[in-house]
Amino acid sequence: MAERIGGADAVIDLKPGSSIPISYHPSFGPHDDLLLLEADDNLVSDIFNQRVTLRGLPDEDAVLCTKSKTFAIKFVGNSNSMFLIPPSSSDDDTNINNRQLVSVLKISPGNMELVEVSPRLDKLKQLLLANPFGAAEVDAMMDDNDDDNNEKKGVKLYTWSDLVNTVQASDEELSVGLQSLSAVEIDGYWRVIDENYLDVILRMLLHNCVLNYWSFDDLDEDEVVSALVADEFPSKLASHCLRVFASRVNSNGTGKWKLEPRLVCLHFARLVLRDEKMRLESFMEEWKKKIPDGMEGRFEMLEGEVLTETIGIETRVYTFSVRSLPSTPAERFSILFKHRSKWEWKDLEPYLRDLHVPRLSMEGLLLKYTRRAQPKADAPPVFSAR
Amino acid sequence: MEIRVKCRCGEDECSEWAIVELQGVVETQASFEGSIQNLEIGRLCHTESSQETYTFTVGYHELIGSKVTLKKPLLVLKKLQLDDEVSGKTTELEVVGIIRTKILFKTRPKPLISGTN
Repeated sequence: MAERIGGADAVIDLKPGSSIPISYHPSFGPHDDLLLLEADDNLVSDIFNQRVTLRGLPDEDAVLCTKSKTFAIKFVGNSNSMFLIPPSSSDDDTNINNRQLVSVLKISPGNMELVEVSPRLDKLKQLLLANPFGAAEVDAMMDDNDDDNNEKKGVKLYTWSDLVNTVQASDEELSVGLQSLSAVEIDGYWRVIDENYLDVILRMLLHNCVLNYWSFDDLDEDEVVSALVADEFPSKLASHCLRVFASRVNSNGTGKWKLEPRLVCLHFARLVLRDEKMRLESFMEEWKKKIPDGMEGRFEMLEGEVLTETIGIETRVYTFSVRSLPSTPAERFSILFKHRSKWEWKDLEPYLRDLHVPRLSMEGLLLKYTRRAQPKADAPPVFSAR
Repeated sequence: MEIRVKCRCGEDECSEWAIVELQGVVETQASFEGSIQNLEIGRLCHTESSQETYTFTVGYHELIGSKVTLKKPLLVLKKLQLDDEVSGKTTELEVVGIIRTKILFKTRPKPLISGTN
């Protein structure tokens, strides 16, 4: 006699007017290795296409990642008794003398739920900014005998695979994160380029533009790279310089680029200011000297990157970049309000533009983290910490 | 660390598990404690009526419930801890089943007066 133990199908297909006994399974027990995960239809589809992974370090709460999203995993307990009944399993396929047993393998205490969260990209920033790629390494790179320079120094570098294992973000979010850091893959490792070294390459590129009568709006990638390689820059970094400061002219791969005035001017503004606060007039003067001929630097280009403070009759300007701020809203607002207790919307907005929080709009973010006040009807509203 | 959620079957072939859910706790008599495997809990009946009702009789109690389609399906995952010579201790997660419906009993148990059986 074949006994079919489990019997989920018998429960699911139980016809009206029929009844079946339910027993404890021969292997009834806690079965802590069996977990229930609530998943919407999209996630179910992703899982069956092998596109879902759990990511995180042993001391972190694991997150679940699809190709493009990151989810926190929450356990939701259920005080009801959930009898979990597995499908039938039998050694014998015949239907002769088939005794149906419906058996409960485990009583589940609850299930896991997923909550979409922002990817944890601050860690990516931290890891890559610890070891920017600079001039010294370029020399080592050009010298073929010095391949393990970094390993010798004990410097930790990250391949794509290392980043996937360390940063809690989906593949797509990780790629976007790398792009926003202007990171580049060198010898299999993802690196950010040291700003001083980037400056050297950019100035050489601009110098070549003048020398060769190249138009800023119609740069040919091959020509640019050849010229920079001739000046002893690695070709990979020459291409990268275009990606940082220029955009493609059209997407059919003609290799034409146009320099973005805002990005070039911002670079020189940061170079002028460094860590100081300068008088606005002095800054504008120094800045204009550095901007290449044919480009115009306007102060509006620097929103989200510099701030001004007016003391008496003097206005000073200093570097305060949105890219140096945390990407999580609570921490972002905390730092902003520590820096300055009251903000007008026109100054605050550039520092919030890049915040994307699932299920929360900009209005929602402001409501949650700020207090809005309007001291006079004709004065602009002012935001402060909640 | 990255753990891929694996499944050996496709979405259509994934075996369906069932859940019978009731409020409260089913208790076993003291004499059976420790060896309740194979013990009968009760009888599930799909009533012959126009409504989609089910009854579950446990001991002298009868529960009344219905079949509910889950808004979001539940996946049954099995966590495997493996010890590999090469990569050391690794964890794997495998989808072993899916649950789309459950039979939910929300009412208080109705005691059955003896003599009806």
